[in-house]
Amino acid sequence: MIEEPYRWVEAIANRREYIEAQLAPGSPIAALGYRDGILFLTVSQTRQKLFEIYDRIAMGAIGHPGDIERLRMAAIELASTEGFTRSATDVSLRRLVHYSLSPVMKSAFEQVYGPPYLARMLFAEVGERSEQDLFLRVEYDGEIATDGATYAQARQDFAALSGTQQSRELMEEFLATQHAPDADLETVLNSALDAWSIGHMTLQTDDAKKPPERAAVRKHRQERLANSGIEAALLERDASRAIRYRSLSDKELRLLIHD
Amino acid sequence: MERSLVAVDQNFPGAAGDFPALLRGKGLLAPASANPVPQAGTPQKMWQPTEATTILAFKFSGGVLVAGDRRATAGNTVVYDRADKVLEIDRHSIMAIAGVPATAWEMARVLEHSFQYFRRTQLQEMSVDGKVRALSKLLRDNFGFVMQGVGVVVPIFATYDSHPKPEARLYFYDAMGAQFEATDFAATGSGSPAVRGILYYENNWGAKPLQELGEDEAVSIALRALDTAAESDTATGGVDRDGKIYPLIKIVSREGIITLPESKIAAVFKETVA
Repeated sequence: MIEEPYRWVEAIANRREYIEAQLAPGSPIAALGYRDGILFLTVSQTRQKLFEIYDRIAMGAIGHPGDIERLRMAAIELASTEGFTRSATDVSLRRLVHYSLSPVMKSAFEQVYGPPYLARMLFAEVGERSEQDLFLRVEYDGEIATDGATYAQARQDFAALSGTQQSRELMEEFLATQHAPDADLETVLNSALDAWSIGHMTLQTDDAKKPPERAAVRKHRQERLANSGIEAALLERDASRAIRYRSLSDKELRLLIHD
Repeated sequence: MERSLVAVDQNFPGAAGDFPALLRGKGLLAPASANPVPQAGTPQKMWQPTEATTILAFKFSGGVLVAGDRRATAGNTVVYDRADKVLEIDRHSIMAIAGVPATAWEMARVLEHSFQYFRRTQLQEMSVDGKVRALSKLLRDNFGFVMQGVGVVVPIFATYDSHPKPEARLYFYDAMGAQFEATDFAATGSGSPAVRGILYYENNWGAKPLQELGEDEAVSIALRALDTAAESDTATGGVDRDGKIYPLIKIVSREGIITLPESKIAAVFKETVA
């Protein structure tokens, strides 16, 4: 019956609805470019959500841990093999996502008899200068999105990932006005926490058109931070080292937070 | 059903994944030789491994010093006088090589990627024992080629261990992959008998044991040892006084790896060796 085209469309639509519902409670992730690199941040519950993929590439993901793990492993394998056979500079996030991950995710999503990937991912690659930083969001159906960047003009300073589209868009709206790419770590950390709080607050509501009030964001942020840990990682711009990924401990981050 | 261009492996390797195995699966690394016996058609006269070079390492007060001369030879021809045989594998590990450069550099590359791959996939750093063992396995896998008369590699591995107690660790290997932990010093390559003699003497009857030497004293002994090795071993470059080519010296400590600048080595050489 799936051979009938409209049935297929229906099956895909059901599948999309199912996956969206599964991903909806996912805690947001913000990635912000700043003077000395890129900061990835989320406020985590139990499992790790930010990962090192290669020398200059990191990933944050929400979804089913089993699916995230498969995709993460595939990305690391592809990057490591490329880096080994050619060189570390030949490993590129754009190629990894466009030519390898996206086609695999798209075909898994559209083959309605097989399982799709229940995952939504955010990748970033740190460049020599902040203009060369690249942020890519990959959806469960293989769709690749950037936040305002085009193929010809990759300029983009941040990216957000969240359980619902509305929550993500409000985070992006906030970051578009509040975030400056030449900020220092302390400033960018606080912007990322605010963006996370906005994303997290608006996960449950259906009709938030504007980011919540500043005072409400502060309050939400304080409440959440009292009970959960901050998970963060850096991709450092420092060219003297090959490996740029460094995870930051909750303890060192708390020293930089202004409440 | 059409196969996807880049198949995400359905037999998911998970925690069992190992980088050399991944490379072999993709046909990017020669298969491990299961049967290290000379194959039919190879000359029966056993090829003598020459390991033409001199590599030394010893512990001193500031960590482990690893030094190697710069000469690369093919038979009795000097092919290169700026070879780099002391290779950084990660932030705290050095592999120094004597043997066939092609195999050795490839091994270093595999090893470097293995450690990174392990950390990225398993979300924890590989233990020092794991790293030492990984090199041993590469040597073992290569032994078939050694028996066929190509590709012998005899490395030294120096690293800094943070667990359970912070200390510098030093290992040397044989061509089959047996690993030996050195308490004070290790040397390998054709010039190593002379170097071993010097280090043994210095450690027991020198001004002070090797482990108590300061950095300049350690560098001085390394240079004297390599110069002595070069005196009788044609495959060891020692210090090229005319060409101003100095050995490569790296130090592993808690803070990581430092490559000593040539100017510093030249200064110590001028003052205490030349």
